Amino acid sequence: MEVIDSRIVLAPAISLACALLIFLSGGHAAWRATLALGAAALKFAVILSLLPGSLQGTVYAYTLFDFPPGIGIAFRADALGMFFALVSSTLWVLTTVYAIGYMKDRRQKLRFFGFFSLCISTTVGIAFAENLLTLLLCYEALTVCTYPLLVHDETPEALRAGRKYLVYTLAGGALILFGVVMVQHLAGTLSLSHAGILPADAPRPMLLAVFCALVAGFGVKAAVMPLHGWLPSAMVAPTPVSALLHAVAVVKAGVFGLLRVIYNVFGVELLAMLGYAAWLAALAAFTIVAGSLMAMAQDNLKRRLAYSTVSQLSYIVLAAALLTPLAALAAIAHIANQAFAKITMFFVAGAVEQATGRRHVHELAGMGRVMPWTMGAFTVASLSFIGVPLFAGFVTKWYLSLGALQAEAWWFVLLMIVSALLNAAYWLPIVYLAWFRAPRGLPARVREAGWLLLAPTLAAAAYVVLLGVTTRVPGMPFSLAEAAVNFVSGTRGGG
Amino acid sequence: MSAWLPLAACVPLVAGALVPAVGRRRPQLAQGCALAASGWTVLATARLTRRLFMEGPFSYAMGGWAAPWGIELRFDAWSAASLFIALIMLAVLVYSGPYARAAIEPRRLPWYYSLLLLNLGGMVGFACAGDLFNLFVFMELVSVSSYALVAVGGGRIAALAAFKYLLAGAVSSVLVLFSVGVLHALTGSLNMADVALRLAAVESRGPVVLALAGLSAGFMLKAALFPVHLWLPDAHAAAPCPVSAVLSGLVVKVGIIGLLRTNAVFAGVDGLPMAAFGQVLAWLGALAIVAGALFALFQQDIKLMLAYSTVSNIGYIVLGLGLANHAALTGAGIHVLNHAIIKATLFLAVGAIIHQTGSRTLRELRGVGRMMPWSALAVSIGALSVAGLPPTAGFLGKWYIALGAFAAGQPGFAAVLLLGALLIFAYYIRILNAFYFRAPVDDNMRSVHEAPLPMLLPVLFLAALCILGGLFGRWPVALVAPAVERLAGGG
Amino acid sequence: MGAALQNLDYFAFVILFCIGLHTLVARPNLLKKLLGLNIMETAVFAFIVTSGMVDGGAAPIVDGTVTGPFASPLPQALILTGIVVAVSISALALALIIEIYRQCGTIEADELKGVG
Repeated sequence: MEVIDSRIVLAPAISLACALLIFLSGGHAAWRATLALGAAALKFAVILSLLPGSLQGTVYAYTLFDFPPGIGIAFRADALGMFFALVSSTLWVLTTVYAIGYMKDRRQKLRFFGFFSLCISTTVGIAFAENLLTLLLCYEALTVCTYPLLVHDETPEALRAGRKYLVYTLAGGALILFGVVMVQHLAGTLSLSHAGILPADAPRPMLLAVFCALVAGFGVKAAVMPLHGWLPSAMVAPTPVSALLHAVAVVKAGVFGLLRVIYNVFGVELLAMLGYAAWLAALAAFTIVAGSLMAMAQDNLKRRLAYSTVSQLSYIVLAAALLTPLAALAAIAHIANQAFAKITMFFVAGAVEQATGRRHVHELAGMGRVMPWTMGAFTVASLSFIGVPLFAGFVTKWYLSLGALQAEAWWFVLLMIVSALLNAAYWLPIVYLAWFRAPRGLPARVREAGWLLLAPTLAAAAYVVLLGVTTRVPGMPFSLAEAAVNFVSGTRGGG
Repeated sequence: MSAWLPLAACVPLVAGALVPAVGRRRPQLAQGCALAASGWTVLATARLTRRLFMEGPFSYAMGGWAAPWGIELRFDAWSAASLFIALIMLAVLVYSGPYARAAIEPRRLPWYYSLLLLNLGGMVGFACAGDLFNLFVFMELVSVSSYALVAVGGGRIAALAAFKYLLAGAVSSVLVLFSVGVLHALTGSLNMADVALRLAAVESRGPVVLALAGLSAGFMLKAALFPVHLWLPDAHAAAPCPVSAVLSGLVVKVGIIGLLRTNAVFAGVDGLPMAAFGQVLAWLGALAIVAGALFALFQQDIKLMLAYSTVSNIGYIVLGLGLANHAALTGAGIHVLNHAIIKATLFLAVGAIIHQTGSRTLRELRGVGRMMPWSALAVSIGALSVAGLPPTAGFLGKWYIALGAFAAGQPGFAAVLLLGALLIFAYYIRILNAFYFRAPVDDNMRSVHEAPLPMLLPVLFLAALCILGGLFGRWPVALVAPAVERLAGGG
Repeated sequence: MGAALQNLDYFAFVILFCIGLHTLVARPNLLKKLLGLNIMETAVFAFIVTSGMVDGGAAPIVDGTVTGPFASPLPQALILTGIVVAVSISALALALIIEIYRQCGTIEADELKGVG
């Protein structure tokens, strides 16, 4: 059932208006915080109000501009889009609270919060995009809006990282545009409301070119190796920005784009016939292992987190590339699972840095004794990544394995086990150091970071557990993921 | 009602002639007169465009002599560019108030406004001319006033650039005139529609090809297409900023509209190597896109950067013309209009910054974004738009041209187009980086203020058009659709 | 051979045009460049005027005494306008040359390179 509803335009518009108000409000710190938080909450409420309908299979749509003629800037919230929007707007509330605490003593806050709001506006736009062009538009806008955040400190290192980010993502954007033009040429439409729009009788080289262009383009932001180079360098940014990059918006936009390409542009059937997805799956499998190995070698905590993101994102890519319904469920659910666990870790890294100035893994010895709550949250996130049952990460691994078996590709189950071991090998030492070693060289006055930093951290960690235990509770994100999969596989011929 | 058409071109021309006389007695009235005349032109062209939308193309026979013997003014889709021309010129004239007072000697001020009005009248006339000779005369009116405008600010660099521009422009005029002569000798007519009909009956192909080549080469030189672009960067960088906006946004388009017009003349003739001609255009365009963007990347002077960006954008338009299918021509047509708005925005906004800070290299302009937020915002919008980021105006043209490249079965051109867009983005990122994210090199920057309102308003108006032109892109597309239909169908 | 002789005037224009172009491109002196431009223009003017010639035609002045074929008057009217344009370009160019000489003290292009 499709309903015309302006609420799905309202959601991105709220953040957009908030950004404009922040830019115009000038230096008023209290105003700014109220505005940012209010907009985040309001947006969350709007998206939440769409949830009941979405769970029952209602699809909301709204066309904004007829640009370019016949294609238009149009929004449409199906279950997959709702899932992504819900995850990012939930995290958004947490990140905003955290950012208000974290940025308290920094300069250029006006610019920071303004572009911060713009980012979430474009992210929801990506989630709700009705056609590839709207998706691309928001995707590019996201690139542009994250750049000022990334180079926020204006140090030469930040500028270098920013340049790298732009080179990667803009080149990716150009590739996507190339692919989009080809799709328009081949299919005559860009709509994402079907399960596959490309005609099966199109010339093979063209289809291959479309696949390569779109996958490589979105793969840049999804940090699929070898296109991941920008992500570890980008960790120089302030922590809330890292959270934005790694959990809320940027990399998720890339992964979401890939899901759209696989499920809505090509369609599962056509891809299965063409057989390109196997290559993508192989690449993702390689990235999972290689990312983990690289993470193990990093001493800088944020760098280790970054490589872990590279590895974790490829779970989603791999699951999507398996093309089976259960794997699709894993892919969609992992968008939330990875996001909450990773944002917890970044919040912890930021809080530790704020409280003690420490950034390296070996300096974390005994941290659990001075900052027990913070390190507790970190432990929860670690267990989730390793895939311990009752934590969010386990759900992904479980369904991914089932999906792999459905696709008769048992070696991916093996991969899950290897990856779990690797994850254990680089997260557990940190947990061990933090809890079972005595603190060294810490001044006596070190305490937990302020509640503005602590509260979102704990909330995110709580969510990690919640996502792990409530897969059978209706109304939770997981049921939305199931609804999304029903859509994807339902059109696959009732499978 | 029909007299609106000649009046649209004549009023600015007559006013241009009168302004120096008025300005001699009352120098402060010069700008007012210019504003009134260009405001009138905006109104007139807006009415004409509305009529075009409602009734389709229409003509006016000068002095009551019917075509093909009389002089015909014809208002069709390409003529609708005159509305954009008049709007941009109005913005430039408003902007000129504070800028010209500082940059141009007082005794030259009335002449400055007079030249701008002559330029405006020439361009409107050029867009509406129905016969080849008037096309030539109006083109010369535009060109001569442009040469003078480059030098109007004084200084030896400007004079040298103006002379260089003059030589290149004069050669292109000679080529065009020669080709017009050939066409007249072949067909005995000058009216473009009539020439197109009679050319089909001409048997010898050699002179026809000669005329096509002459016209194309002449107009390409006027449009500064890549290998013959050498006059452009100097002239556009040396001129006062409002003049640069006019030159870069509008005057080079005279060459493009000329190409479009004359292409239409040859479109119906059998046995011409039009396909090969299109390929040559497309390759030249592709070359210009990359070369212009690469040159721009290595400039320190911000105005030179913008000038090379024009070279690159002309490449986009010519590529679209060369591909010559429906989508590509739509893209080229839209980009003619949109690039005019975008480049005018950029030059005026950069002009405001140069006016307030007195410096024009990227290094000296570091940190200006904080001091002049509105001007810098306009530069940002213009930059994103010229790089073709959706949903700005610049995206629309590139989208259609890329579609056209696929429709023509030449995806390589689409790749070049995107590469060019990336390069363009790369050098605008350099500008934005300097404006916003670099610490100022000297302390004078801290005492810089935002530009005065008469400069700021036109800049922001044009910047808003950059975005609205994209979001409401339906209208320009509908505007050029019939003209494109004829060109693509005939080719 | 006959055709070549018949079109002798065209060859003359081409040669004139080339002389002008060569002067424009090869001479460093700005004034001579301008003269070259004028020679090119003259060549084109002459070409267009002669294209209006009709064998045995009379001057296209209608006063009642001459009847029969007239030469085409249109090219002459065109060239009249063309000459006006050319004169204005020359005037502007001369003004620019004077300005350049005042500012730089030379009008030789190769010496001006270092100045610009």
